[in-house]
Amino acid sequence: MNSLQKHWDARAALNFILGGMGAGLMIAAALAHAAGRAPILLSLVLVAAGLGAVWLEIGKKFRALNVFINPFTSWMTRESFIAALLISFGAAAMVKPQPFLPLAAATALVFVWCQGRILHASKGIPAWRAPQVVQFIVSTGLAEGAGLALFFSTEPLLLTWFALALVLRAVAWTRYAAAAPSAALESPGKALLQIGTVAALALALAGAWFPAAAPLAGAAALATGLWLKFALVTRAAFNQGYALPRLPVRGTR
Amino acid sequence: MKRVPTYCYQCVAGPDLLTVKVEDGVVREVEPNFAAAAVHPGGGKVCVKAYGLVQKTYHPDRVLQPMKRTNPKKGHDEDPGFVPISWDEALGLISQKLVGIRARGLLDESGYPRVAASFGGGGTPQFYMGSFPAFLAAWGPMDMGFGSGQGVKCYHSEHLYGELWHRGFTVSPDTPLTNYLISCGANVEASGGVVGVWRHADARARGMKRVQVEPHLSVTGACSAEWVPIKPKTDAAFLYALIHVLLHESPRERLDVEFLYKHTSSPYLVGTHGYYLREPASSAPIVGGALEAKETHVSLETGADGEVLAEGRLEGETAFAKLVAHMKPYTPEWAAEICDVPAARIRRIANEYLDAACVGQTIEIEGKTLPFRPVAVSLGKTVTNGWGGFECCWARTLLAALVGALETPGGILGTTVRLNRPMSERHKSVRADADGLMAYPFNPTDERHWSARPNIRNAYRSMVPLAADGPWSQALGPTHFSWMFLDATPPGLPRVTLPEVWFLYRTNPAISFWDTAKLEERMARFPFVVAFAFTRDETNHYADVLLPDATDLESLQLIRIGGSKYIEQFWDHEGFALRQPAIAPRGGARDFTDIATALAERTGLLEPYNAAINKGTLGVPLKDFALDVSRPHGVEEIWEAVCKAASRELTNGAEAHGLDWWKEHGLATRPFPRTAWYLFPTLAAKGLRFEMPYQERLLRIGTELGRRLHEHGMTWWDKQLAEYQALPAWKDFPGIWDSGEQYPFWLLTSRSMQYAWGGNVGMQLIKEVADNIAGHSGVIVNAGKARELGIHEGDWLEIATPQHSVRAKAVPRQGIRPDTLLLLGQFGHWQTPVAKDFGMPSMNSLVPMSLELTDATGSGADIVRVALRKAA
Amino acid sequence: MTRWAMVADLRRCVGCQTCTAACKQTNATPPGVQWRRVLDMEVGEYPEVKRAFVPVGCMHCDEPPCMHVCPSTATKKRADGIVTIDYDLCIGCAYCAVACPYQARYKSSDDTLRPDVATKCTFCVERIDAGLAQGLKPGVDPEATPVCVNSCIAQALHFGDVEDAQSNIRGLLAENQHFRMHEELGTGPRFYYLWDKAP
Repeated sequence: MNSLQKHWDARAALNFILGGMGAGLMIAAALAHAAGRAPILLSLVLVAAGLGAVWLEIGKKFRALNVFINPFTSWMTRESFIAALLISFGAAAMVKPQPFLPLAAATALVFVWCQGRILHASKGIPAWRAPQVVQFIVSTGLAEGAGLALFFSTEPLLLTWFALALVLRAVAWTRYAAAAPSAALESPGKALLQIGTVAALALALAGAWFPAAAPLAGAAALATGLWLKFALVTRAAFNQGYALPRLPVRGTR
Repeated sequence: MKRVPTYCYQCVAGPDLLTVKVEDGVVREVEPNFAAAAVHPGGGKVCVKAYGLVQKTYHPDRVLQPMKRTNPKKGHDEDPGFVPISWDEALGLISQKLVGIRARGLLDESGYPRVAASFGGGGTPQFYMGSFPAFLAAWGPMDMGFGSGQGVKCYHSEHLYGELWHRGFTVSPDTPLTNYLISCGANVEASGGVVGVWRHADARARGMKRVQVEPHLSVTGACSAEWVPIKPKTDAAFLYALIHVLLHESPRERLDVEFLYKHTSSPYLVGTHGYYLREPASSAPIVGGALEAKETHVSLETGADGEVLAEGRLEGETAFAKLVAHMKPYTPEWAAEICDVPAARIRRIANEYLDAACVGQTIEIEGKTLPFRPVAVSLGKTVTNGWGGFECCWARTLLAALVGALETPGGILGTTVRLNRPMSERHKSVRADADGLMAYPFNPTDERHWSARPNIRNAYRSMVPLAADGPWSQALGPTHFSWMFLDATPPGLPRVTLPEVWFLYRTNPAISFWDTAKLEERMARFPFVVAFAFTRDETNHYADVLLPDATDLESLQLIRIGGSKYIEQFWDHEGFALRQPAIAPRGGARDFTDIATALAERTGLLEPYNAAINKGTLGVPLKDFALDVSRPHGVEEIWEAVCKAASRELTNGAEAHGLDWWKEHGLATRPFPRTAWYLFPTLAAKGLRFEMPYQERLLRIGTELGRRLHEHGMTWWDKQLAEYQALPAWKDFPGIWDSGEQYPFWLLTSRSMQYAWGGNVGMQLIKEVADNIAGHSGVIVNAGKARELGIHEGDWLEIATPQHSVRAKAVPRQGIRPDTLLLLGQFGHWQTPVAKDFGMPSMNSLVPMSLELTDATGSGADIVRVALRKAA
Repeated sequence: MTRWAMVADLRRCVGCQTCTAACKQTNATPPGVQWRRVLDMEVGEYPEVKRAFVPVGCMHCDEPPCMHVCPSTATKKRADGIVTIDYDLCIGCAYCAVACPYQARYKSSDDTLRPDVATKCTFCVERIDAGLAQGLKPGVDPEATPVCVNSCIAQALHFGDVEDAQSNIRGLLAENQHFRMHEELGTGPRFYYLWDKAP
C-alpha cells in the first residue's frame, strides 16, 4: 500500500469543502429568489473561510499574493483570480442583485470547476488526477450549495434544482468511483448514494408537502458531500508510489 | 576552503580514502578522494559511514573533557555522577593505579594480568589510537581477552581454520575474476565495504552468477542472481551435498585431479588408526601412487604424543579415497530434508559450480601462467561461528580444492593473516612443516609444553591450539570465558579474577556481546575502568574515568594501506595513508598519541615506550629516524619520524618525506603485484601441499589436548574435543539450538551496512538514511506468517527465549523464511545519545553465553530460538 | 542543446544510502528531507520474491507537473532541462508536492536555509554551473558532477548530457535496456533506470 500524501491536510481540505459548498450556495441563491441576501452573505463567508484555511496551510503567509503570478498554467492561480471575482460580484450582489447575483453565480460555477481542475492537475495523487474528479467536485458543490440553500427557502425551483444536482452528483460520483476505486471512499461513497441521494431525494419530495423535510434533505446531501470531499482530500490521497516495470538482472540470469 | 586528505577505517572493510572540506575552521563535507581513484580499488570512495564523521565531530553530546565518576556504586540504574576534571587529575588517577600495579607485579595471584584492555571493531581501533600500541607494548602482560564481539560477531572458524589451510584469516572470492559464487550467508554488500560493493557490482556487470544461500533475503541476496532460502544452521549439509555431487555424480576427470594429487594432501596414505603412514626413516608421510589407492608399505603409523600405533607392512588408503567414502551418504536427497532446499536445486547448483570451474584452463597474470578457476564459495558470520562452523569452513575449502580453485585466480583467497607471522605479508608466513604441509603455530598440546596455567583469563593457550599465540590470539580465543568464568571458573583453571584496571576504546560490549544483561552485572564489579569516550554509552556507564580522545577528523596517524588486507581489500598497490587533523580537537579532547606519551611518562615507561615506537610498533621501524628514548615527544614529532621512515621504506631509501609532505598528499603507494594475491604459486614453489581433505593434524592435536585436559581433571571440554576430526561428519547442528515447541522461530541478525563496526549509532544522519532500508525500525517477519498470526506492520511484538524477552515493532516482508525472524544490527541502547530513542532491540540480550553453545574454537553462533507474540 | 539526465543502474545499486547521506550533507537538508534517497522494494511473494534498490528523487521531467501547477512561477525549467525552484518566490503551498508523481518534493520548517518553501533535488545545479564556468564536464569531472553520483560506491549513478551523442550516459543508454518511472503519465522524466544489457 502506498503512503498517504502529507502535504495537504485538513486546512487544504477545508478549502474544497467550504469553497465548494459556498460556491454551490451562490448558484442556488441565484435561483432561490425568496431566500433574500442571507445565503449570498453565507456563501461569501464560506468561500472566504476556505481561502483563509488554505492560507493557514501555506509556508510563506506574507507571500500569499504570489499565488496570482501564474494564470497561464496553474489552476490554483486561476482559482484565486476567480475567487477574487466571485467575492467582488457576491459583495456587489448584496447591494444590487441584478445583474451581480447571476454574475456571481456564474463565477461560482467557474470557481468550483477550478477546484476540480486543481485536484485533477495533481498528478502525484491517482485519486485526484482521475478526469472524473472534476465533474464530481462541481456537482457535489452544486448539490451541497443547493442543500444548504434549503435552510433558507424551499421554493419549488430550488427543490427542483436540488433534485437535479443530486442526480448529477450521483452520476458523477458513480463514474468517478468506477474510474478511481478507493477503499477509503467506500463508506462515504455509500453514504453519498444512500443518504445523500436516495434519502435526500425522498425527503426533498416530501418537502413539497412538509416543508420541514426539505432542510433535512439538504442536510443529508450536504453532510455526505462534505464527508466524501474530506475523505477524498485527506484519506484517499495516496501517493502514486513507485513501480518497477522491469526487475534488474543481477549478474547472469 | 581547503580539502584535507585523510582515511576512514571505521570498519574492517577499510581503509578507504577521503577528503574533508574545511571552511573557516569548520568541517563541512566529506568527499571521496578522487586523487586516489587510480590506486584505491573502490575508486577512492568512502561509504555512508564516513559521511557521518561531520556529525561525529560536532556531536552535541560529545564528551569534551576528562570526567570522573563520583558515585562509587555501579549498576544499570546507578547514575555514575560523572564530573569534569582536568587532564592532569585524570592522568594522575590512572597512573597512580598503574604505578601501584607495577610495584606489586603485573600478574595477580591467579597468574592473570592485573590490567586488561578491550578494543572493538575487529581490530580497527588501532588505526585511531595513535601510539597507544607502543604503550601497550611497553607495559608488558595485559589481558586483551575480555570479549566485546569476538567469537560471536566474527567469522571465527574461518579465521582459525582459514589460517590453517590457506593463510586465510579472512577468505574472499577473487571477485575481479570469479564467475560463479555460492554465498552461504556472506553479506558482502553490507559488510564488504566500498571495495566489496564496487567489485561485486563490476562482477555482476561482467556476468558473475552469485547464488545467495540464506534464510532471509539480505541486501546481498537482493543483489544476487538467485536466492536459496535455506533453513538456519544447515549450511554444512548443503555444502556436503554439493561435494557429494562432485565426488559421486560427476566423472572424476572433471575435478582438478592434478591439483589434488600434486598440491594437496589427498594422496597421503592413511592407516587403520586414522593417522598417516610414514616412512620409517624420515617419518615423512607416504604418498600413494594415485589419488584413490589402497597400498601396502613398510611404514609407521604414529598417533598422538608420538605414540607408534602400528609398524611394519601396513595397508593404507589415500586420504582422497577416505573422503570419497566419507561423503557417500551426503546425497542431495539427504540434504534436502535437512536444509529445506529441493534436491534438484542442490544438484543443479553443484553442476553449475563444476561447469564454471574451468578445470584445465590457465590465465596469464604479470607474465606468469596460473590455473584459472573462477568459482568460489563464501561464508557468512553465523555460518562460520559456533557449532557447524568448522564443517562449513572445511567443506568450502574442500569445494575449492576439488576443482583447483584454492588460492588460484578466480577461486578463493585468504586475504590476510593475523595468527601467522609476519602479519604484514602472508607469503612470508608460508613455511614447511615436517609433513610437507604449511607449518602452523599451534599452541602446544604435548605433555611438556601444554599448560593449565593460562596467560590470560580466556585461557586460549590452554584450550584452543588453533588460536596460536600471537598479538591477535587473545582476542581470538573463547573471549566470553573471561566473562563467564568470573562467576564460576571450571575445574583445572586458576580462579578467574577481576582485572584491577580495564581500558576501553571504541568498544561497547554491554551492547555488542552476547547475554548483555549478565555482562553488565559483571562489569559493575570491575574496580577501575578507564574509557576513552566519544559520548556516554552503555559500557562507559560503568567507567571510573572518561577520557576524550581527539576523534577521526581531529587527530594524526599514519597507517599502511593496500597490499592484501581484510575481506575484499586486496589491491594492486600498497603504501601508507595519513589521517590528519582537519580541525583542531574540540574542547579538551587530546590526540591519542599525546595521551599515550603522557601515560608512559607518568608510569615510568617512557624508555620502553619510545623504544617500542623505534622498533616499529606504529607500523614501520624508525631506523635512521629513531626517537631519543629518554624524553617525551610531541604527537607531530613522533609521526614526523614515522612518516620519514615510511617514505624511506616505500621508495627503497630514495625519499624521506616528512609530515608536511604527507599532510599535503595524504597517501603514497607503490605497485603491489597481483600474483601476490594468490598463495598457490608460493606453495607450489616450495613444494608444499594444502592440507585437504584429511585433517590428520587436527585429529592429533585434539587427541593430545583431550589427554592433557583429562590429566588435569578437566572434563568440561569433552564435547568440544569431539570437533577434532580428520573428516568431519554432519551432526544435527540446528538441533543444538532447539528450545522446545514453544520457541518455534529462529532469530537471526544481519549486518547493517550503515552501522556495521562503525560505532556510529549516535549519528542522526546515519539513523535517518539507514531507515530507508527495511529492518532498521523493527523485527522482520515473513509477511505470510504475520498475516497468519494477525500481525500488522508496526504492531509491537514480544520476542522471547526461556530466559529473556525484548519488544520490537513488526516489519512484515516477503524475503524471509516463515520460521525465521531477523533483527538487523545490534541496538538496544539505553545510554548512547540518539540511539537510546530508536526503540530497536538487539538479539544480543537474548543469546545466552554458555559452554554448551561454544564450539572447539571457542566461538558461538549468533542465533537463538524464540517465541513470538503480539505484545500486550 | 544540452539536456542533463541521471542514469541509475539497478543491477549495481545495493541500497547503501551513501548517495542519500552525501546529498543531505552537501545540500544541508534537515532531518526527514531527502532529495536523493534509495528505496528498498520487494516484488513477489515468498519464496518467489525479488528485492531491488531504487534511487529516486526529482526526475527533472520534460513536462514537469510541479511546474505547471505552481501558482507563483517559483518552479521553472532551464533550457538545459533542470527544474529549479526560486525560494524567494515560492509561497509554500505544496501544490507542486502533490502534483509530483515521484514524491520528490519537500517542505520543512526545520530547513534553516529554505524554511517553509518547496525544495527538491537540484541536480546540484550550482556545481554544474560552476564546473561549466571552469570548463569542466558534468558527469565526468567530479567538481562539476552531482554529489550523489560522486559518492556512489557501486558506480550505479551516472550523470550527463542526454542530447550529446558522445556523452557517458548516451553510451550507457545505448548499451543497456532501460525504463523511466511512470512513463505512462507523460511527464518525460530524465532519470533512466538500467536493468539489463541491450539485446
